[in-house]
Amino acid sequence: MSSETEKSGVKRRDFLKVLGATGAGATMIGCSSERVEKLIPYFVSPDQTVPGVSTYYASTCRECAASCGIIAETRDGRTIKLEGNPDHPVNRGALCAKGQAALQGLYNPDRYRSPMIRRGGKLEKATWDEALKLFGEKLAEARRNPGGVAFVNRHQSGGFPQLLNSWLAGMGMAPAINVDPDADTTAIAANMQSYGVPWPRYDFNATRLIVSFGADFLDGWGASVPQQLDFADARARGADAPRLVYIGARRSLTGLNADEWIPAKPGSELAILQMLSGASTVEQAAQASGVDAAKLTALQAEFTAARPAMVLASGGAANGMELCLAANALNQSQGIVGTGVSVIGAIDSFAGIDPLSHVRALGQRMQSGAVTMLMVHNVDPVYLMPKASGFAAAMAKVPFKVSFSSIADETSAMADLVLPDSHSLESWGEAEPVKGTLSLQQPTMDPVFDTRPIADVLIAVSKTGTALTPLPDYRSLMISRFPGGAAGLSSALPKGIASGSAPQPVGTKTLPSPVTAANPGNGDFALIVYPSPALGFGDGANKPWLQELPDPVTKIAWQTVAEVNPATAKKLDVENGDHVIVETSAGKLSLPVYIYPGIAAGVVAVAAGRGHAESAGRYAKAGANAFNLLTYGEDRAGGIVLTSTRARVSKDGGFSRLVTTEGSSRQHGRGIAQAVMVADLGTGATHEASGAEHAAEAAPQGSVSPEQQSRAEGNKAAAGEHGAEAGHPEFPGDASHEFLPGLRSPTAKDAQGDLGGPGTKSKDKGMYDPKHWSGMANRRWAMAIDLARCTGCSACVTACYAENNIPTVGADWQGPKVLPDRTGFGANITRSREMSWIRLERYFEGGEDGGADFEARFVPMLCQHCGNAPCEPVCPVYATYHAPDGLNVQVYNRCVGTRYCSNNCPYKVRYFNWFGYGEPARPQYAFPEPLNWQLNPDVTVRGKGVMEKCTFCVQRIREAENRAALEHRGVAPDEFTVACAEACPSRAITFGDAADERWSVAKLVNDERAYHVFEELNTYTAVVYLKKVNHPSASSVASASGVSAPSGSSSVPSPAGGH
Amino acid sequence: MIKQRKWFAIPGFLTLAAAAAILSAYAGASSSQGNSPVQPVKFPHPTHVQTLKMNCVYCHFSANKSPDPGLPAMSTCMGCHTVISPQKPEIQKLASFASKNQPVPWVRIHKLPEYVHFPHMRHVNAGVTCQTCHGQVQNMAQVSQQNSLNMGWCVNCHVGRSNPPFKARYDCATCHY
Repeated sequence: MSSETEKSGVKRRDFLKVLGATGAGATMIGCSSERVEKLIPYFVSPDQTVPGVSTYYASTCRECAASCGIIAETRDGRTIKLEGNPDHPVNRGALCAKGQAALQGLYNPDRYRSPMIRRGGKLEKATWDEALKLFGEKLAEARRNPGGVAFVNRHQSGGFPQLLNSWLAGMGMAPAINVDPDADTTAIAANMQSYGVPWPRYDFNATRLIVSFGADFLDGWGASVPQQLDFADARARGADAPRLVYIGARRSLTGLNADEWIPAKPGSELAILQMLSGASTVEQAAQASGVDAAKLTALQAEFTAARPAMVLASGGAANGMELCLAANALNQSQGIVGTGVSVIGAIDSFAGIDPLSHVRALGQRMQSGAVTMLMVHNVDPVYLMPKASGFAAAMAKVPFKVSFSSIADETSAMADLVLPDSHSLESWGEAEPVKGTLSLQQPTMDPVFDTRPIADVLIAVSKTGTALTPLPDYRSLMISRFPGGAAGLSSALPKGIASGSAPQPVGTKTLPSPVTAANPGNGDFALIVYPSPALGFGDGANKPWLQELPDPVTKIAWQTVAEVNPATAKKLDVENGDHVIVETSAGKLSLPVYIYPGIAAGVVAVAAGRGHAESAGRYAKAGANAFNLLTYGEDRAGGIVLTSTRARVSKDGGFSRLVTTEGSSRQHGRGIAQAVMVADLGTGATHEASGAEHAAEAAPQGSVSPEQQSRAEGNKAAAGEHGAEAGHPEFPGDASHEFLPGLRSPTAKDAQGDLGGPGTKSKDKGMYDPKHWSGMANRRWAMAIDLARCTGCSACVTACYAENNIPTVGADWQGPKVLPDRTGFGANITRSREMSWIRLERYFEGGEDGGADFEARFVPMLCQHCGNAPCEPVCPVYATYHAPDGLNVQVYNRCVGTRYCSNNCPYKVRYFNWFGYGEPARPQYAFPEPLNWQLNPDVTVRGKGVMEKCTFCVQRIREAENRAALEHRGVAPDEFTVACAEACPSRAITFGDAADERWSVAKLVNDERAYHVFEELNTYTAVVYLKKVNHPSASSVASASGVSAPSGSSSVPSPAGGH
Repeated sequence: MIKQRKWFAIPGFLTLAAAAAILSAYAGASSSQGNSPVQPVKFPHPTHVQTLKMNCVYCHFSANKSPDPGLPAMSTCMGCHTVISPQKPEIQKLASFASKNQPVPWVRIHKLPEYVHFPHMRHVNAGVTCQTCHGQVQNMAQVSQQNSLNMGWCVNCHVGRSNPPFKARYDCATCHY
């Protein structure tokens, strides 16, 4: 907020808490205006804000170490949406799903609402005075034995670690252990050693080949947002784009974006890496990794040809440190360091993250009784440390435990005193993501609950103890060292960044000698525990948006599954959903099976992040905890080993419906996700790259025979058919006349009303007439989605939830409780009742035989805003209709819930409110207080029995029009965009007016790769997809010369064709 | 006899259905036209607007720049009333709220359903007077709702049938989203 604070004698929160006339969060229940409603004015109007108009504050995202810049949209004192800061050097305007969901950390109903003190074995509410008094007493006691005090801190870049360590040092205590569960500390340690920076900037433009050894740089490995931006930019270069080869036992999201996947045995990556560096032979590598020698020979040849290639490797294996160091050495020897792997622009905020071995060592000290006081800040080591490490039991032995957690979790549930930290959106701070650049963090609103920023608490307590600082709070501390003081800070805040450096923390820690002798146990299977792309290692589990976000790879939400290879499943005699027992020497779990072709045979993979204890709140307990299966081991850098445990897998009796949003992983010839070979770009012959038959040339029934596949010709014919063709006979229902420029689609005036043939045309077309004074029919809002850029990360999905008040439906109290196999978390989703207006469809091409040679395609699917929409004529009450500016509109208050429209929608993008998810009085209410504070007041919260769908963010269109009208001008090209496009970390989505060539989208819809999904249905969609570009390896091009399909992706449609 | 009863039942059912339809139609169109609740502090618009010639947007400060017209903050009231007529009983009521740091809980009169988005600034800047929708507030010692605020009433103006005529988009998604 602005630098003005609590001077007026009235506490700011008193007049910000209650708001004026807009009924934010009120729901659409009936039309009655009889209820008495109160209008509560401000006591003192806050400066520089206008009720009903958003204020935007620049701040810093604290959801991971990358420290992206955010813009927080705040309306009437409440933060309602986060966007990326376009001026920020890290994320350049994009924001991932985790960043979007920071709002649900802010408004989480399971947050601590006040300090808590353990009395009689139970945590009870207390006042800050009581809590701070107790804390002061215990600190004074602890100072007599400062060696017995330990502090586990949430890693944070910026000035706070320095404050914390000097606070601890002032009392003679050891420096804090800084934990970030999602950071790959092994890779960071290797980077420090090799490059001298914790996380270099990867410029994928500088290479023709990227070889990733389990480095999931698109899902959460390191700074995923800038990596996605850079990767998408590099891949958008068509023929010059780098190829990506992924080596690992499980094909992650990054693996699915790779052009080639080489399934190597877990832990054998180093053998292949040594082969590339010339330290071993192909035969040795093949033997160690179980990969076909021919494949490795081809890789080696390509690697040599592509010099310099970029090699990325992640920790997680027992030899993780060796692997990462070898990868970095290979980069150095090839000379890509300095160009592709750059220390300029390195993400510095990954510095100072301690590996989990420190926490394990702390556990051992606690076990021995040497720790008398433990302080934990926003980390959950009780969940995070595998049960085998014995951390929780050891922690119970500590006489006094203090938690600064802002939200209930397993660790704070064991605490004797909880001093809840304010959320990062409620407190001051700074990060230094790039050396010399400070990313500023400012409160975007007053605290939701009675919480205090930890820095202010430490300062307050130190005043009564040692005199650490004469300053009253952290903000004053920031000002005192900011160049230009308060004025300098005030002028830098609107931009969110400033040049400068954060003070470095004092104190050193020595790495505890790692527990390398991890006993992997025995069993036929290798167990891989991996961080869920949405939930990480558990941080996201208390946020319903992230729980409901289908995993980009498995499409599973709210549930923990055991992923096995199709061949393995056959051997075990299990189908999707059948339970298997995964048993290791550390523990066992009964999990439903998910059959995934992207898993090497003999491997079982389980995502971490779910299955928290009851104490972690209402959402986090969904699923099962994969950490319970891990035997505890560390690599040389102290990072936890995730892939070396052996497991026994056997069939269990049970069955659970998979909580999945996926119907089929195959396209069945529907041509939804199309692709083109890179060699064909620019030749006009943009024919299909593989098995998905181009829908436009498919027979009307959808069944495609192999004979019908003369693709290039078919494409041309299709284009001609839909072009503005002279002499084409007009017949009722035909919409192929009168096109707006830029989009192969009729003007809206044709889509509505005048389809009855030439004789029945009415004279008055109203607003559908392009000459009408409103000019609405001269616009056509449209969207282009570039599948060559889309990585499937699903940030758009969460952005849409945030912008459009979409309810999550998977919590256990929201589902029907009738059928015993359809209750619990995700019950609604097993009935396809998810409400996700935009969803990421993921299709596999090829590999029907269960082989590794398959391709994945991601398609964001949302309402296509058809020019000739099948949903519109079937609505008996005209609740859905076509707006003159090209929007397919759903009028909630007209809708009576017949669901005919959904039935008739070929894209299945309409969602029905089966329950009153938006109505507070209903048990299925999706926004328990204060989650409802986040609701966007510009968007109606839908009630029970109403159909809803993507609106193309009509509220943003209206807002832009209103703003333009106030300024007496028209809407400027690319002036605004929709929520999904704004968030997209790979810039795959472009929104705008396709009828106005000045908008970027108008050019994209004419791209040579452009196509409409189900074009043959004459729907004239306003969403244009640009075909994915496939980069086959040189060897597969040679072997398939003359045939357009790469080997393995057969052009014969799968037998299960149809819809 | 049984057959006869059947013949009665069918028109009977139809009549009931028709009655229900008509009733529900009326119920849906119900509005608070004429509603004039007693406010916690009597605020005489005539005194402020007619006698003192105050502009509407002095208090409703965002009516010309926001969808939300804005409600005067307590500090706006007390800015004058600390010195002007502090002895009057209604002002004392106001002052007692202010001294407790409480805002006055005004009773809402004009209310559109949540699925309607009404941007005040677009109307004000297009020259639609406050009185067009809110009636002659400057004459109302106690404000009452003069117009139905039903959709038909809105659309009448949007399609240009009002006096003086205004023209505005009447597409559903102009207001409903």
